Amino acid sequence: MNPMKHQITRREWLASTAALTAVGCGRKIRIVPSQVSIVKAPAYDQSLYDTVRRIFAEHRLDLRGRNVVLKPNLVEFEPGSAINTNPMLVHAALEAARSLGAASVRIAEGPGHRRNTYDLADAAGYFTNVPDFEDLFVDLNLDDVTRMHIPRQVSGLKKLYLPNTVLRADLLISIPKMKTHHWVGATLSMKNLFGTVPGGVYGWPKNPLHWAGISESIADLHSLYPRVFALVDGIVGMEGNGPIQGTPKAAGVLVAGRDMVAVDATCCRLMRIDPFQIEYLRLASGGLESHVTEMNIRQIGESISDLATPFQLPPDFPNLRMKVT
Amino acid sequence: MNTGALISKQNPDGGWPYVRGKSRTEPTAYAVMALLAAGEDAYADRGIRWIASIERPEGGWPTQVGVDQSAWVTALVALLPPERLGAAAHARAIRWLVATVGEESTFFYRARQWLLGAPLPPEQRFAGWPWVPGAAAWVGPTSVAILALEQEARRSSGAGIRERIANGRQYLLDHVCVNGGWNYGSARPLGYESNPYPETTGMALAALRGVSSPKVDRSLNLAHQFLSQCRSADALNWLRLGLLAHGQLPAGFCPPSAIAYRTVPESSLDLLVAATAGGTAMFWA
Repeated sequence: MNPMKHQITRREWLASTAALTAVGCGRKIRIVPSQVSIVKAPAYDQSLYDTVRRIFAEHRLDLRGRNVVLKPNLVEFEPGSAINTNPMLVHAALEAARSLGAASVRIAEGPGHRRNTYDLADAAGYFTNVPDFEDLFVDLNLDDVTRMHIPRQVSGLKKLYLPNTVLRADLLISIPKMKTHHWVGATLSMKNLFGTVPGGVYGWPKNPLHWAGISESIADLHSLYPRVFALVDGIVGMEGNGPIQGTPKAAGVLVAGRDMVAVDATCCRLMRIDPFQIEYLRLASGGLESHVTEMNIRQIGESISDLATPFQLPPDFPNLRMKVT
Repeated sequence: MNTGALISKQNPDGGWPYVRGKSRTEPTAYAVMALLAAGEDAYADRGIRWIASIERPEGGWPTQVGVDQSAWVTALVALLPPERLGAAAHARAIRWLVATVGEESTFFYRARQWLLGAPLPPEQRFAGWPWVPGAAAWVGPTSVAILALEQEARRSSGAGIRERIANGRQYLLDHVCVNGGWNYGSARPLGYESNPYPETTGMALAALRGVSSPKVDRSLNLAHQFLSQCRSADALNWLRLGLLAHGQLPAGFCPPSAIAYRTVPESSLDLLVAATAGGTAMFWA
């Protein structure tokens, strides 16, 4: 595998040129590698509880006295589909956070299509798998909001109203499903941040973000949430025409880390998708000299080559496939 | 939830929250309509005063205090009786609705597409309503806007109202899924058939009251199927209203007792649908 083997865009060429110029001027550019866990997880069973606890320990998450928000991906419910984050994984994360001394752990989501969030969560098995779910859950679409200035504006959005439950969290844990996506190629921990944008302000779907550019809006959201951790549900993901009408894909893996760019780039490699072809990763990271690049990621656990499995690409993205050498 | 329980959820400022917390426009508008239908005018009037207090300068209403943009909830405000909201405020709500279209129907967007040589997709022929200005039209806000304008059209013949209703209904008919019913938006995004949802199917059917079409017939059949299977309070409310609008709600139908009514809009709409079935028609007086 050669992660450098991809078509270099003008943006990346400029970034690389700038970096080389800086080196030439005697300024040393040093990127601290981001740690990403790749963990084999063949099924949604009781072993998940120990697995997630170990992942949190590996990343030295200090949750004592902290307010933690778990953000799964809930979109629609279709029997036999793999659209939503599995509730058992979310419950395992809840238990792991509690065991590390978190002061409070909430589950929060703002689905983008359906307004009846509780009904969706019920159909997706959250009420049966997570004790006291209704007391723990916050519908982010209806939460109180704060107007936020976007620090590093990539999209045309000048401001965003975001839910207070997420803004006030000490740690936001993004727990998406590993899926292909017919608008942006792949939906992982960063795209999952769309669910923090309140439908109660922007509607169902959050269409102003589409008009501002989906990839650009993802990059903006990424810049607004500095205290994050990603835990990607790749046990059974979705391939093809995701994120709703695709086919379940058993990949048997969890991917986790503090750096969403590095986590999502690693997921892409596991899906045999070239992460440099995912626009929002390029926009959020700056291109080649970033944590999209494999050499800037410190992978722990399993190797990519051992667990990688090609996901069928979404129909409009034939060029996403990573070239393996 | 009965009217007493609904009253108990009223905030000191006169408005209602979705579940708990700060007052919001949508739950307050639905609660006010439900209480007016039940004859609880005093509580309803407090809610109306809260609504009147948050009108925006452009004549629309925000979804909540502190958000500086008028939104789709203006249609819910326009459903309130003008004699209670105030005739001038009500007229501003109607004007805002008549002037608001999905971004894909604006002159500038269409001119830009024309200059780019992009053909107008068939489903963009007619203008619907967005959740917020600057975004595309969707089935939900279009349906509610039609309900509000249809009620207004029975009071007055304001310029443009009939035309917007007709266009909005064409928008809905252009978005029917292949086997009937409505998704939240396009029936064929990216060339793939989308699945209909029960709640948007009910909303669109309510907005198409009095419209005859094979697409409406297919959607009514689907609504009957949804009604027998659905376990969502929100969906059941809209399905009942949609079937009522076409005189097809099965006689004596009651939602299953296990249905959870978790939000103020769900509880209020349940009361409103019951009132409508009993002849107190808030949506098509």
